[in-house]
Amino acid sequence: MPPDHAPFRPGRRAVLGGLLGTLALTGCGALNSKPKVREWNLFGGGDGARLLQIHQQYVAEHPDVAFEAHTLAWGPPFYTKLAMSAAGGRSPEVATLHLSRLKGFSPTTMLDPIPVDLLNAAGVQQSDFLPATWDRCVVDGKLYAVPLDQHPFVLYYNTEICKKAGLLGPDGKIKPVKGVTPFLDMLRAVKDVTGKYAVSVDTTSPWRLWYTLYGQLEGEFFNEDSTQLVLDDAKALEALDLIAKLASEGLTPRSANYAALVAMFTNGDAGMSFNGEWEVTTYQTAKMPFSMAPFPVVYDVPKFQGDSHTFVLPHQAHRNADDTKATIEYIAWMLKHSVEWAAGGHIPAYQPVAKSPEYLELKPQAEYRSTAPNVLYDPDAWFSGSGAQLENESAAAFSGIAAGQITPKAALAQFKAATQKLLDTPSPV
Amino acid sequence: MAVETPPRVTPGTPPTAAKAGTEQPWKERWGGLFFVAPFLLLFVLFMLWPIVSGLWNSFFNTSLAGVKHEFLGLQNWRDLFGDPAVWSSLKNTLVFTAMSTPPLVIIALVMALLANRKGLLGWLLRFSYFAPFVLPATVVTLIWVWIYQPGFGLVNGLLTAGGFAEIDWLNTENRAMLAVVITTVWWTVGFNFLLYLAALQGIPAQVYEAAAIDGANGRQQLFRITLPLLSRTTGLIVVLQLVASLKIFDQIYLMTTGGPNHATRPIIMYIYETGFTSYRIGYASAISYLFFAIIVIVAVAQFKLFSGRGEAE
Amino acid sequence: MTTATLPASTKPSRPVRWTFPKAASAVGAVILAVIWLIPLLWALDTSLKPEPETTRAPITWLPEAPTADAYRSVIDQGDLIRWFFNSTIVSVLVTTLTLVVSVLAAYGFSRTKFPGRKVLFGLIIAGILVPPQVLIVPLFQEMTGLGLVDTYWGMVLPQVVAPVMVFVLKKFFDGISRDYEDAARVDGASRWRIVWSVMVPMSRPILVAVGIFTFIGAWNNFLWPFIVTTDPSMMTIPVGLANVQGSYGLRYAQIMASAVLGGLPLLIVYALFQRHVVRGVGDAGIKG
Repeated sequence: MPPDHAPFRPGRRAVLGGLLGTLALTGCGALNSKPKVREWNLFGGGDGARLLQIHQQYVAEHPDVAFEAHTLAWGPPFYTKLAMSAAGGRSPEVATLHLSRLKGFSPTTMLDPIPVDLLNAAGVQQSDFLPATWDRCVVDGKLYAVPLDQHPFVLYYNTEICKKAGLLGPDGKIKPVKGVTPFLDMLRAVKDVTGKYAVSVDTTSPWRLWYTLYGQLEGEFFNEDSTQLVLDDAKALEALDLIAKLASEGLTPRSANYAALVAMFTNGDAGMSFNGEWEVTTYQTAKMPFSMAPFPVVYDVPKFQGDSHTFVLPHQAHRNADDTKATIEYIAWMLKHSVEWAAGGHIPAYQPVAKSPEYLELKPQAEYRSTAPNVLYDPDAWFSGSGAQLENESAAAFSGIAAGQITPKAALAQFKAATQKLLDTPSPV
Repeated sequence: MAVETPPRVTPGTPPTAAKAGTEQPWKERWGGLFFVAPFLLLFVLFMLWPIVSGLWNSFFNTSLAGVKHEFLGLQNWRDLFGDPAVWSSLKNTLVFTAMSTPPLVIIALVMALLANRKGLLGWLLRFSYFAPFVLPATVVTLIWVWIYQPGFGLVNGLLTAGGFAEIDWLNTENRAMLAVVITTVWWTVGFNFLLYLAALQGIPAQVYEAAAIDGANGRQQLFRITLPLLSRTTGLIVVLQLVASLKIFDQIYLMTTGGPNHATRPIIMYIYETGFTSYRIGYASAISYLFFAIIVIVAVAQFKLFSGRGEAE
Repeated sequence: MTTATLPASTKPSRPVRWTFPKAASAVGAVILAVIWLIPLLWALDTSLKPEPETTRAPITWLPEAPTADAYRSVIDQGDLIRWFFNSTIVSVLVTTLTLVVSVLAAYGFSRTKFPGRKVLFGLIIAGILVPPQVLIVPLFQEMTGLGLVDTYWGMVLPQVVAPVMVFVLKKFFDGISRDYEDAARVDGASRWRIVWSVMVPMSRPILVAVGIFTFIGAWNNFLWPFIVTTDPSMMTIPVGLANVQGSYGLRYAQIMASAVLGGLPLLIVYALFQRHVVRGVGDAGIKG
């Protein structure tokens, strides 16, 4: 066999050379010197579509910024990627983060502090936020997050059904109730009208409802430094018993997942719905008669489980000053335009917008704004927060309660054991 | 035993001893290392080093967040044996392996017997059986999640059309693993099929001709000649398949993310979750090593089993 | 250029007699092929439907009014083209580097002698036993330290370490007669030159076969690129598709359109090079 090799080597070299050239080009990023802002978020649903529209407006108004937004899958996939990218040092300029997860995200190593002077220069001050919200964004004396919104657990009600049940006041809004008995009476009245259920709930994940009720009983979860579980068994059980009672009386379904929660309220099987406020667009699109109100104060104090979406600067090994400046200006722009975001249900964290006539005119989105100072965040721990392990363990333990598969007492024991195991796991942050 | 491997190069002459060159002794003695060096460098950097640093990390509480790196001694290893999630994910891995290996071997054999023909039909059959194997895991799972979709997916559409009840395949505890196995068989059986096909094509035609002269019918030829001659190939395929199945991650992560209720979570996914979602690099390294040990034991056991039966392929 | 060990080519062609078992096996083969193609066809079918038709019950078999809308929206979103570009760069680099580095090493182990050669070869062979999956955690840490997270090199370099390739090629080189080399040496060729002008041309078929397999493997590799890329604009097709599926919501025609586009390149490559692929599996028996 005669070796025939003549064209072989130069050919490969040319290919390789070309490839390396391409790599060098793409490696440097854009050749022009526009500041770049890459944003990652986790809004895959209706709020994501809204965000896309807002971003289109931002891009149109900022031709001088190389802007790029990416939506990653909600929950663990998003947070895992964000953490890995921060560890890798080439993270995006800005990302969304649930405020409840800030401390568990190891802000001092995984995030870069927000330059407050730049934020002020962009027209956003500390005084523009509720103090309680702002304080949660500060770790070790440095600001690590800028809150965009708050999203409490609320009450949705079908105005036609509730009118028939005699629950609406002369202004057409639902009459507030306080205390367990009036609460149950209200639900029974709704059930009499629908003939099916009073309220649609997500029985597979009762965390939001349970933590709201437990919070209204002024129950504590962890001790001051989050090293011990100090759950008040009596209060925790009282809340769980109420959830069991709602299901056994047929006021709520015995088994319903999130999709069913939305469907039952839409088709009138339930005259009310307990949920976060982000489904407002869904029900508006369905053109159904509904409104929203704060979740009733069933027990002692007004507390409503919720969270807050914030903007953070994931840690970059080599942070570019121009990019950072453009990023802070992007955040400020988003805050000032958050009335469009608020139309999707979330309460603006930026008070100039929260007090603006445009927001106050939004119906029903402005109806539950009073709950903002009483939003109850998930307990403080590295394994806690929206979509994190503690919520998953509560879902595993509590999901059988409504169906009667597990007693509240046994469910509480399972949940406490699981939480204790998480507490015993050495914290990685 | 007949040769089953396909045609390959024949040594023209037996290897001769290296001819004493005219080069200098130093160059002659060490020059060979130069050829090995690039591979060796990468091998050390991206295989040996992570093996060593992984073992090292397994004795520390190293965190992805970069805030901790304290010596723990054997703590991670002790925790590992008391962690039910390790054992349940290991069990899921073994269940997947046990469920997926038999069909992946048997269907591959049937396909090879059916497709061992020339002409356009043979080409079309080979194309159809192997085509899924060239697709990325994500494409495969996007298609199958859609096929399993309750309400308007293909499988449930056929079930309801046939008067059966719908099954929420990927969200039902004892159906989800089966659904993953079906997808995996569809996706990867083509590779084993090709191995069998190559072996079949290596069986000399004379063997069949001699059998035909002796009056053996097709059935006898299949069971008396073909299948016995394929036994070594079957051994090879079982070895490769067991090790491949134990490494399951892609399909399950993409189809069920280990759910429902962790019922399909394999060990590699638990390593991923521990190391990257929960930041516990040290502990995840320890779990990796447990799994590594299992793979090595399986592979070495199989090597012992099959070595001595001709050259290893 | 390969000489068959078996005189397969001298096999006299037997007259085809269609008997019942033969016909039955042909029918069985075709039925199995159709079953195997249905998921692909169903994906294609769905991708050509308008969105509302995809979620209709009972299901419709063929689109009532076929449309390419789904493809248009998927391509307009832009990411797919970027990922296609990334996949191409990564796969070409992995394939080229794997071949170059493995050929050199195989030659070194097959044809040269240096102290420690046997030990090194044994070490590399032991590397065949190491599943890349168990290295993801330390390897990611290493990439963090080297600053290679979210880079092409970070994706490529670990995939280039393929001990099995060195093993297969060394075995193959061992079978090549030394006469050709000796002749070349007499002509004054260096060993470096011998590798490229004697060994490589003589092993071209097996190099093509393992090259195609390396390419398919690199193109489809999910786990490692999934670990080492976090930036969506650096992702390869398999990783990118996995991360955006959530942002499509419930738009099945679009999801299937992206699946079809993501799978098409390699289906075409496979259809064109089927002969080499089939033979590559037989020759090397590599990968699992």
